[in-house]
Amino acid sequence: MRERFISGFDYFVLPFMVGMIFVLLWCIIGIIKIMVQLERKDRIKLYKSLVNPVIMGKNVRDWFGDCLFHVKLWKRNKVLGYMHSSIAFGWFMLILIGHIETFLYIPERGGLFYYPIFFRYFMAVESPTLKGSLLFFLMDFFLLVVLSGIILAIIKRFRSKLMGMRRTTKLTLLDRVGLYSLWAIFPLRLIAEGFTAGVGGGSFLTVPVNWLFASILSKPENFTIAWWAYSIALGTFMMVLPFTRYMHIPAEFILIPLKNAGIRVRRPRKGYALAELYSCPSCGVCLDACPMSVDKAGLKNTTVYYIRQVKRRNEPRALAIADKCLMCGKCSVLCPINISAIDLRLSLRKKQSYNIENDFSYLDKVPNGSLTSAISVGGEKVLYYSGCMSSLTPVISQSVQKVLTRAGIDFTLMDSQGTVCCGRPLLLSGRTEEAKALIEKNKQIIKESGAPILLVSCAICYRTFEEDYDLEGIQVMHYTDYFEQLADKGVIKLKKQEHKYVYHDPCELGRGCGIYEAPRKALARVTNLVPAAKERKESICCGGSLGSLTLTHEERGRITENSIRNLTANSPDAIVTACPLCMKTFSRQSDIKVVDFAQVIAENMIEEEE
Amino acid sequence: MIDFGYCLTPSSTIEIDDADLRLFDELCNAEPDAIKCISCGSCAASCTAGVFTDVNLRKVLLCLQRGQQKDVLPQLKSCMLCGKCHIVCPRGINTRHLILSICKIYNI
Amino acid sequence: MKRNVLIIGGGPAGIEASRRIRDYGHTPILIEKESRLGGHLAKWHKLFPDGESTKELLSSLTSDMEGINSFTDTNIVSINKLKDLYVAIFSNGISVQADAILFATGFSMFPAEKKEEYGYGIYNHVITNADLENFFNTGKDPRIKEPKVIGFVHCVGSRDEKAGNRHCSKVCCATALKQACEMKELYPDATIYCFYMDLRMFGRKYEDLYLNARRKYGIFFVRGRVSEVSEDIDGRLVVKAEDTLVGKPIRITMDLLVLMSGMSPCVENPEIASMTGVHIGEDGFFMPRDLLFRSTESHSKGIFFAGAATGPKTIPETLNEARAAAMAIDNYFKHKD
Repeated sequence: MRERFISGFDYFVLPFMVGMIFVLLWCIIGIIKIMVQLERKDRIKLYKSLVNPVIMGKNVRDWFGDCLFHVKLWKRNKVLGYMHSSIAFGWFMLILIGHIETFLYIPERGGLFYYPIFFRYFMAVESPTLKGSLLFFLMDFFLLVVLSGIILAIIKRFRSKLMGMRRTTKLTLLDRVGLYSLWAIFPLRLIAEGFTAGVGGGSFLTVPVNWLFASILSKPENFTIAWWAYSIALGTFMMVLPFTRYMHIPAEFILIPLKNAGIRVRRPRKGYALAELYSCPSCGVCLDACPMSVDKAGLKNTTVYYIRQVKRRNEPRALAIADKCLMCGKCSVLCPINISAIDLRLSLRKKQSYNIENDFSYLDKVPNGSLTSAISVGGEKVLYYSGCMSSLTPVISQSVQKVLTRAGIDFTLMDSQGTVCCGRPLLLSGRTEEAKALIEKNKQIIKESGAPILLVSCAICYRTFEEDYDLEGIQVMHYTDYFEQLADKGVIKLKKQEHKYVYHDPCELGRGCGIYEAPRKALARVTNLVPAAKERKESICCGGSLGSLTLTHEERGRITENSIRNLTANSPDAIVTACPLCMKTFSRQSDIKVVDFAQVIAENMIEEEE
Repeated sequence: MIDFGYCLTPSSTIEIDDADLRLFDELCNAEPDAIKCISCGSCAASCTAGVFTDVNLRKVLLCLQRGQQKDVLPQLKSCMLCGKCHIVCPRGINTRHLILSICKIYNI
Repeated sequence: MKRNVLIIGGGPAGIEASRRIRDYGHTPILIEKESRLGGHLAKWHKLFPDGESTKELLSSLTSDMEGINSFTDTNIVSINKLKDLYVAIFSNGISVQADAILFATGFSMFPAEKKEEYGYGIYNHVITNADLENFFNTGKDPRIKEPKVIGFVHCVGSRDEKAGNRHCSKVCCATALKQACEMKELYPDATIYCFYMDLRMFGRKYEDLYLNARRKYGIFFVRGRVSEVSEDIDGRLVVKAEDTLVGKPIRITMDLLVLMSGMSPCVENPEIASMTGVHIGEDGFFMPRDLLFRSTESHSKGIFFAGAATGPKTIPETLNEARAAAMAIDNYFKHKD
C-alpha cells in the first residue's frame, strides 16, 4: 500500500479532530475531578485495587463484559443486548483494526489520531495481498455489524416494544443531536469508503458501493464531500457527547475500577457519585422497574430522571424526586450498570438539615432491664425484638412466641414495655447522626441481655441490625431463617396442608439482604407454594415503605394494587408476608387473606403427643 | 404610686385575632393534608417515643393552628420518625413528612 | 293491569316496601340471600333510643305478608333489560319479568379483623357490636366472663382512610351508648369506658340517652382513639388510647373490648351496578338520582332504592324510605299508563 497524499492531511479531518480533542480533554478533566473529590481513604483503596491482581482481573472482565458486550442487557432481552453490543464491540473493533492497519502499513503516521479513522482515503492499494484482503474483510464485516445495530436502534426509537421495553426515556434536545449524528456516522462511513474503495481497497460491503458510484462518476475517489460528511458527523457526535447520555461510554470505563475497588457514594454530586451519574446511559430499564410507574405521572420520579436533574444541578426538583422514592432497590438490580440509586438519593437527603436538632437523651434515663421481660424455659437463649410495627400487627408477635415456646427456646422479649425504634426510618430519611443515639441504646440493651441470638420478625429491622449495628459475637437472625433452621433440625414439626399460598419477597429482606430461599423452604413444608408473576429480586414493592417521605395515600394505594395483582397471578388462596409493614399494607386492599410467615408456621405445628 | 401588692396577670385566653398563622399557611402548602387532621389522637396513642417522653403530634398540630407553637415545638426533638403514626392515621395524613416539614418551616 | 316489582333484599326496607307495593295493587316478588327474612335487624336485641324489642318490631313488620311471593336462600344471577322490562334470573333457576326493581340490599358489617391492632380474632376478649347483640339475645358467649372493666371503641372501620371507609356509619354512636347501658344493667359493678372521636347524637331522644348513660349508668367517656390493644400475662386486655381532652396517652387494663363495627357497602354492589347501569358513589354505596329530592330513584328508569343500600341509615329512616320508594314506584307505573 502507498500513501495517496504526501502531506497525509486534508482539511476534512478537522471537524473530527476538534471533536476528538474536546472529548479527550473533557474526559481527562473529569477523571481529575473525580480523583480530587474522592476522600483520601477511597483514593488509597483505589490505588491498592489497581495492583491487586484479583480486582484488576475483575476490572478487565467487566470492561469487556459490560462496556463492550453489554452482557447484562443480553440477559434482559437478546435483541436489546445484540443492538448495544454490536454497536459497542463493532465500533471498538473498527478502531482497533484501523490502528493495526496503520501500524502495519504506515507506522510513521501512527501518532495521528485521524489517520486510522480515515485510512481508506489516505492509502491506496498497490497490489492485493492476503493480509490486506483479510484486513479489508474484517473492517467491512465489523462495519456491517455496527450498521445492523444502528438499524435496530432506529427501530427501537419507534417500536420499543419489539425490544422488550414498555417505555423509553424522553430525550433532551442535545440527546437528539447526539443520537442522529451517531446514526449518521456509520452509513456515512460506508458511503465515504465506497467512494474510495476503487483506489483504497475494500471488501464485500464497500466494493459494491464503489461500483455503484463508479458507474455514475469517472473518478469517485476524488470526491471528498462524503468524507467531509463523515468527519462532521463524528465531530458533532463528539462535541455533544459530554452533554448527552452518550457520556456513559467513557464514564463507564472509569466507573468500573472505582466500583470494584469498593468505593461507594458519599456526596450527591461529587466523587464516586459523579462517575455513576455520568455512566447512566438513559436506557430506560428503570422506568418499567419502578413501582411508581403504575401511574403515568410517577414516571418522572424514576432514577433516570433523578440523575438527569442532578446533572443539571436542579436541586429542588432532584430533592422532590429523592423524597418520593420508596427505596425499594428494584431499579438498581435491573440497571445494566447497577447504579446505586438508593445511595445517590440518600446522599441528597443527608444534605438536608430540616432545622432540627434531635434530642434522644431521654433514652439514657431508661433502664435497659425495664424494657425487657424474660420468659425462661431453659434452652437456647434468644432475644426477640418485635419492633415498632408489631404492636399494630399483634398476630406476628403472638405467633412467634407460640413457635418459640413450642420449640422450648429460652427467649426474652426485648420491647414488651416500650420499643426503642431500630433506627432505620431515621437512616432512610438521611438522619444518620441522629440514628446513632437509638443504635447505641439498642446495642446496650442487646448486650446486657446476654443472649447469643437476636431474633427479629421485621424485615426492616433485620436489615438495619445487619448493616448498621455492629454486634460482635451476636448472631442476628430473621425469623424466616430461624424457623427454617428449627424445622430443618426437627425442633418443630410441621404438617402440610392442601392450600396454595404465594410468598411476597419484602424489599428489605430480598433485595436488601439476599434472603430468598429460607422462607420458601420453610413454607414448602406447610403449603403448596405458587410463584408470583415477578418475584425474588424482581418482586414488586408493597407500597408501604418508609423510604418514601412524600407519597400520598392514594398513590400508595395504586402501587399496592399493582403489587397484589402481581402476587395473585396464579390464583393463590392467601398471600404470605415476612414483614409487618407489608402485611398491614396488603391486608388493607387484598381480597384474599394476608397471613404472616410466623402465623403460617404457628398454625401448622404438629402437637406432640404427651 | 401606692403599691397595692398585686398586678394584672396576663389573661390565659388565646387571642385568635392576634395569632400569627403565616407559618401555618406555609406548612399547609408543603403538606396540604395537614389541615385534614381531626385531632383523634391515634398518632399520640401509638407513638414510640410517647412511651418515654411527652411527644404528642396531635397537640403540636392543634397548637400550630392556634399560633401557639413556642411551647410545644421542642417536643418534636424526641421523634424517632418510626412511622407508626402514619400507619394508624385515619385521615391518611403523611405524618412523617408533616413532622419534617414542621421542623423545616418553624425552625425549631 | 298487574305489574311485577322485584324487591332485592328481605331486610326491613324490603319487607316494608313489599307490603306497601302490594297495598298499591302491584305484585311484589321478594328475594333474600339468607335463609330467613329480617336482614341484619333480625340479629339485634333491643333498639335505641327507648330499648324497643327487635322481635316485636320484626313481628309487626312480617305480620301481614299475604300476597307477597318471597324467596329465601336465593341470589340474583343476572339482570337484563328488555325494552322497558327487566328480566332477572335467580339462583334457583326461576326467571322473573319485572316492570320495576327495588334495591333494598342494605349493608355489610365491616370485618373487624381488618383493624388488626384491635386484636379481633386474635385476643380472647375482643368482640364486635354484632357479637354483643347476639350475647344479649342468647346469653352465651365464651369471651364474656364476668367483666369488671369494659370498653367500647367507636368508629371501627368508619371515618378511616386506612380501613377504606371514609364515611361515618351514623348509628354506631347511639348503638354504643345503648349497649353500654345494657351492659351496665347486666353487670352493675362494672366500669365502662366509651372511646369516641365525636359523639353523633343527632336523633330525637339521643341526647337524653347520652345524659342517662352518664348520670344514671355512670359510664365514662374518653375522647380519643384507641391505637393498640395487647394482652397481659393473665389474658386481660391492655388498651392504649389518647385522652385528647386531657392531652396525654392513657392505658387501661380491661376484661372486655367491644368494637363498634361500621356499615360497609355490600361486596356485590359493583357487580349489580354493572348489570343494571345504576351508579355507585365513591364510598361504594349506591348513588340515587340526588340525595335530597329524589333519593329513592336511581339513574336507570324503573330501578329504585330504599334503606341502607344508599348509605347508613336508622330504622325509622329505612322504613320511611321503603314507603317512599313504594309510592315512587306506584307513581312511575301511573306515568307509564
